Amino acid sequence: MARRIFLAFIIILLLAIGMLPVLSMLIKSIIVDGHFTLVSYKGVLTSRHQWTLMGHSIALSFLVTALTVAVGLPVGILLGKTDLPFRKFFTVLFVVPLLIPPYIIAVSWSDLLGREGLLAHLFGASAIKATARFLFGLPGCTAVLFSIFLPIPMLLTIIFLRTINPRLEEAGRLVSGWHGVMKGITIPLILPGVLLSAMLVFLLSFGEFSVPNFLRYDVFPVESFTQFSAFYNFKAATAAAVPLAVVTLILLLVEAAFLRERTYQLCPSSEVEHLPQIELGAHRKWLLALIAIMAFVIVIVPIVVLVIQSAGIDAYAEALNRAGGNLMRSLMYAVIGATLLTFLGFFTGYLIQTKALRYWRSIDSLTIFLFALPSTVIGIGLISLWNTPWTNFIYGTPIIIVLGYLAKYTALTSRVSVTQLAQIPPSMEEAAQVAGARWFRRAAFIVAPLARRGLLAGWLVGYIFSLRDTGITMLVYPAGHETLPVRIFTLMANGSPQLIAALCMVMITATLLPAGILWMIPGIMTRKVTR
Amino acid sequence: MKTVNMDSVSKHYNGEKVLDNISLEIDESQRIVILGPSGCGKTTILRLIAGFIAPDTGSISIGGELVSKHGRIIKPPEQRNLGMVFQNLALWPHLSVKGNIEFGLKAKGIRKSERKVRIEKILNLVDMADYADRKPAELSGGQQQRIALARALVLEPNVLLMDEPLSSLDLDLNIRLRKEILRLQKKLEFSLLYVTHDQDEAFDIATRVVSMKHGRIEDVSTVASSRNQKA
Repeated sequence: MARRIFLAFIIILLLAIGMLPVLSMLIKSIIVDGHFTLVSYKGVLTSRHQWTLMGHSIALSFLVTALTVAVGLPVGILLGKTDLPFRKFFTVLFVVPLLIPPYIIAVSWSDLLGREGLLAHLFGASAIKATARFLFGLPGCTAVLFSIFLPIPMLLTIIFLRTINPRLEEAGRLVSGWHGVMKGITIPLILPGVLLSAMLVFLLSFGEFSVPNFLRYDVFPVESFTQFSAFYNFKAATAAAVPLAVVTLILLLVEAAFLRERTYQLCPSSEVEHLPQIELGAHRKWLLALIAIMAFVIVIVPIVVLVIQSAGIDAYAEALNRAGGNLMRSLMYAVIGATLLTFLGFFTGYLIQTKALRYWRSIDSLTIFLFALPSTVIGIGLISLWNTPWTNFIYGTPIIIVLGYLAKYTALTSRVSVTQLAQIPPSMEEAAQVAGARWFRRAAFIVAPLARRGLLAGWLVGYIFSLRDTGITMLVYPAGHETLPVRIFTLMANGSPQLIAALCMVMITATLLPAGILWMIPGIMTRKVTR
Repeated sequence: MKTVNMDSVSKHYNGEKVLDNISLEIDESQRIVILGPSGCGKTTILRLIAGFIAPDTGSISIGGELVSKHGRIIKPPEQRNLGMVFQNLALWPHLSVKGNIEFGLKAKGIRKSERKVRIEKILNLVDMADYADRKPAELSGGQQQRIALARALVLEPNVLLMDEPLSSLDLDLNIRLRKEILRLQKKLEFSLLYVTHDQDEAFDIATRVVSMKHGRIEDVSTVASSRNQKA
């Protein structure tokens, strides 16, 4: 009983944090002065400019999705299924761009290819015209977002490959080579995962505004942000945000209807270590070279450009001088956000994994919906709900930022928890139950310690995504509580390239350092749950 | 002629010896059952013969041709002309019954018209002709067994490997399918290497029973022919 009550409380909490703001935004956009009206939408739906922006958004999202899936699937197969050397290293390396604020990658490529960029200094501005034209517009936006979202299809391919029962592939190997098995058996079996990744990439590209904004490609989410931050036209901002929410909802409903029931046969966890592996043979060397070149261009080049651009103590001294407070605030909010996200994600994950309440699937869908929802929608929703004289203790304080993190990123910590909890045999908790332990005791002293690696990984994921958040924070931060990513974004308008590069490097270090330290401590991230 | 010949084969997993100096011969049209408790190495023998793993020491020949030796796979699984029925059957869930059977025929480059004939023939043989368009999930346990058999036999393998294929079935169905396997083996005359931990099942099917324990062959006994005549 205690378990059901507590989990019901978690559901209510999640609804209040995530769904209530979205509903409030929706209601306020159609009820004006106590009357139902669609006047705000009329402006959005009848404006040719808005439809052009929507077309841009769809074109950009489609191109990014097609490119990331076309490359991410084979890269995922290479890193998850073959004997390619340094697979783990490359997997981690490719994930780096996803972990830092997206616009940092755009800044870096601009520092390299832009009119004032490093290549312009080397080869002259005229030689660089074509690359600058490529970068600032649809092709550049597509390329930058491709490098950021590539890890999503890549990782989901690797994960789904591990869920295939090895016997299914071996049955194919008896009559066909690996090429035929991959084409006829493996890829069709992981197709739900590939389509899920395509949908996620589409939604994340669709909601992304910092990169298009920086690379001057007008897209729909920028409209909502501009209406709010530049004109403070809340109704127009809301009306512009709702179509984004509707597109997200439609795509998720399609996913739920067609994909969720099509995950076939899960691999028994004991067999994961004996998964059949493709031996590359003579192809090993050139494939290794290809992956290394890709990793170099996608990950190493942007970071090296920032390092070169920010070279010198002065840039870092100025960066810390101008944004030291922002850094400390960012770290503090990220730590608080990560801790709460771990707590919320653990219990949401527990609910999903154990199916303890009838509504477990709705909660799973809700967290995914909130994650897929463009940040501007969540930001506008939070303002819509909490910007009242009675709730200023939330709206006027960093609590609103943390609420934004919880609304957007619980899906991530919940997924990590589900994965970890699935590794724990149900008999562990059942044994404690038979021994007379009540649920809180079982959760605190049996389940949580066994899931400690998942909790730690969840915390790290929560920390990284809270720290890199720009979209929500930019809209909701109270005066005097600007975080580092927001500070960098606003300084981009008039700060020197050296200062911006230095701030970006500080941001990258703050994001990746804790993950690196935890990774290197033996036993923390590597020890397995004893079965 | 020996269809399969394992010569002094040993295999380790994570430093633990799972097969210790195993030598085993399978003659044409012979039915050999490997009998032993869980973890004694019986499935490893099947996986070595199939070519999914290589022996650490020793060699394996199929049809007189060396297929793997001392940690090296010389001939990959698809070139060994073997059929296999897995313990969990491993029917491909995204393909229909027909698709499951057709996969191997397509991989071998057999023409469409001939594929159709062979699928019909094998489905008739296992008495499943009416189920060609069903998905594996829409079949009962016994029907799934028949499809797994049909898929393994459609390419007319020299040797059929069966890894505890009936272990999950109730006794009644188990006995009926044993008879079915014997009927098909006598009709198609393939060599059979069958793995089980059930003594009754072993002596019902085998012409020769190989008893294993701790990765070693403990005993080889020829089964009285009268016992097989039941089928």
